[in-house]
Amino acid sequence: MNIKGSPWKGSLLLLLVSNLLLSHYIHNLSSEMFSEFDKRYTQGRGFISKAINSCHTSSLATPEDKEQAQQISQKDFLSLIVSILRSWNEPLYHLVTEVRGMQEAPEAILSKAIEIEEQTKRLLEGMELILSQVHPETKENEIYSVWSGLPSLQMADEESRLFAYYNLLHCLRRDSHKIDNYLKLLKCRIIHDNNC
Amino acid sequence: MDLWQLLLTLALAGSSDAFSGRETTAAILSSVSQSLLSVNPGLKTNSSKKAKFTKCRSPELETFSCHWTDAVRHGLKSPGPIQLFYTRRNTEEETQEWKECPDYVSAGENSCYFNSSFTSIWIPYCIKLTSNGGTVDENCFSVNQIVQPDPPIALNWTLLNISLTGVHADIQVRWEAPTNADTQKGWMVLEYELQYKEVNETQWKMMDPILSTSVPLYSLRVDKEYEVRVRSKQRKYENYGEFSEVLYVKLPQMSQFTCEEDFYFPWLLIIIFGISGLTVMLFVFLFSKQQRIKMLILPPVPVPKIKGIDPDLLKEGKLEEVNTILAIHDSYKPEFHSDDSWVEFIELDIEDPDEKTEGSDTDRLLSSDHKKSHSNLGVKDGDSGRTSCYKPDMLETDFNANDIHDGTSEVVQPQRLKGEADLLCLDQKNQNNSPYHDACPAIRQPSVIQAEKNKPQPLLTDGAESTHQAAHIQLSNPSSLANIDFYAQVSDITPAGSVVLSPGQKNKAGISQCDMHPEMISLCQANFIMDNAYFCEADAKKCIPVAPHIKVESHTEPSFNQEDIYITTESLTTTAGRPGTAEHVPGSEMPVPDYTSIHIIQSPQGLILNATALSLPDKEFLSSCGYVSTDQLNKIMP
Repeated sequence: MNIKGSPWKGSLLLLLVSNLLLSHYIHNLSSEMFSEFDKRYTQGRGFISKAINSCHTSSLATPEDKEQAQQISQKDFLSLIVSILRSWNEPLYHLVTEVRGMQEAPEAILSKAIEIEEQTKRLLEGMELILSQVHPETKENEIYSVWSGLPSLQMADEESRLFAYYNLLHCLRRDSHKIDNYLKLLKCRIIHDNNC
Repeated sequence: MDLWQLLLTLALAGSSDAFSGRETTAAILSSVSQSLLSVNPGLKTNSSKKAKFTKCRSPELETFSCHWTDAVRHGLKSPGPIQLFYTRRNTEEETQEWKECPDYVSAGENSCYFNSSFTSIWIPYCIKLTSNGGTVDENCFSVNQIVQPDPPIALNWTLLNISLTGVHADIQVRWEAPTNADTQKGWMVLEYELQYKEVNETQWKMMDPILSTSVPLYSLRVDKEYEVRVRSKQRKYENYGEFSEVLYVKLPQMSQFTCEEDFYFPWLLIIIFGISGLTVMLFVFLFSKQQRIKMLILPPVPVPKIKGIDPDLLKEGKLEEVNTILAIHDSYKPEFHSDDSWVEFIELDIEDPDEKTEGSDTDRLLSSDHKKSHSNLGVKDGDSGRTSCYKPDMLETDFNANDIHDGTSEVVQPQRLKGEADLLCLDQKNQNNSPYHDACPAIRQPSVIQAEKNKPQPLLTDGAESTHQAAHIQLSNPSSLANIDFYAQVSDITPAGSVVLSPGQKNKAGISQCDMHPEMISLCQANFIMDNAYFCEADAKKCIPVAPHIKVESHTEPSFNQEDIYITTESLTTTAGRPGTAEHVPGSEMPVPDYTSIHIIQSPQGLILNATALSLPDKEFLSSCGYVSTDQLNKIMP
């Protein structure tokens, strides 16, 4: 399982597995949050076709299919995951603030958003730790995508505002699935030598 | 013309078997279908049903395909060839270009197949169906959302064990993930759902989704045949794939003779017997003459009884008395037991200080080991002059002043305060002072809170508030106060040693004079321990006239009148005898009223106790700021 001289000590492997579990949890929550939001606010509005526009993390060069994911190096993979997670710090924070400030804030959605924000922070810390231990040569790169969607969340026009939320939650679900998949791949690659 | 084309293509298709290639056939077939579609373009279909997407599916998260229905057409007529265009957002491209479907064939008829080079996960795709240039249907999705795995393969079962009776058996069912789903590299994680049933049943039994590829089935009947099927879905997603092939399970029979193992517990019999037995027992006890057993089974319900109330009172309808008693019991805590305890408090016995209950103010004030050094009233009968509704304040400030937060004093507090509060408000009731009912509940609060053992702080505020409230009440209704006894005061001490209480009169709440003259406070401070909440009026007066003499002096007397001086029935002013400071206030030789009254000062939240005016105004006697010590009192009293 481990090549001798590999920096993947037992504790790091455990950390990787626990991060994977955490990302499962986050992905679950964000899927539920999205479907609850869609059911309650935007069902039937056909926002899905408009959502072809951008998630803010699209600018990051992430693998988009299995081949690309298999070809990317472990170091780059880990760095990418960290970048994605970092990019979500601010949007999640604003999401929670905005939803909380809503009149009749939907409790189910708000509680999930708060939980996702917290767990994402933990996941980011865990992944940063792994990266610094396994690849200490990577300089502390602060690469991440800037999110500038806050004004759209605060728009007065209800339709535009709802679409902004829809887009954000849609992107969150997508990115949480991405991270979940990436971590699964890493786990099978590192721990089980591609033989899960 | 068109018909000829059709016949020609059909002939070609028939003869193409000789040629190579499925692709050729497929191409021809597709072209045939295209031409079929294009036959009679001029004729419009009668049906208004358009072509639309039925399903887009990715079995393994690497490729996907989309299917649609043809437009319903009558008489082989169709508006035009249906085409599928797709677009996907790439980071490099800014514009959305619609590209045509790369493969119309591989996924079957009316489908478009996107192989792995055309498939990107997590990137939104939009597809549209066009016919004759016009968009017929449109849809957008991400590939990770349309995953529907293939059915599991290689189902088999093995026997685990058979029960001793040979009637039931357990088996283990195993299967494998579909081949195209890459679970080894972790690209897909699948969840499985197993369903089984007896062969002749119609309802499938479902098991909970599991992640592993084998599951045991327990307690299958050996003499029956079962069917098992499994389906899979991607974990955390909703869409299940198709069911696998059905697996038939036929269990080996151990013996020819299968015994009927089923045992039906005779619930009905048990219930019937149980109920009848219980009924019999009940009747026996009910009609039994044995009182003891009857008491055991059906104990007598206690008649409601209120302590201190004679049931005869209720019968005779003396509601007023009953109400009084009830109110007492109602408002006071259970520690306040006996009916006549307030009488006990009033009737003081100087010779017997121990007679007081432990919650008595007197003990606290008089006991030598108590922590407060200043709070000596000196009067052994502690109730004298203290039965006023502001008692709790006094006690509070006392505690506050000493900054006592330890448990013991707090424990003692509730009882004392409560006792006092009881006294005070009882007194009020005795005097029938209805306006004070407003004040009293407010005052009662401290006792209630104290009983709950809070810190003195809130009490203090409460007490202070209540005093202010009372004061405000006072202020607002000066006329109505004329006959109101806010404080009960000791008006006389009988030779026997009991103290006679009489109602006092109060003008209004006081504002601390000391406040107005801050420079004198330092003077006052020199004389007092500042945290000592007890000021005597005499010393307070010292504070007042010291600096601006004339001005203050002129106000001294009337100001006292206006401030918060208790005027007794006997005296006009309540200027107490001052030790050695007679020159400040005129009329210092006024007969000191023989009561102690409580003078509230707002800001230090202390109390000034007016010195009791005893029949022997004695300087010596009044040396300690008007407080009379026990010894002194004994000297005075015969």
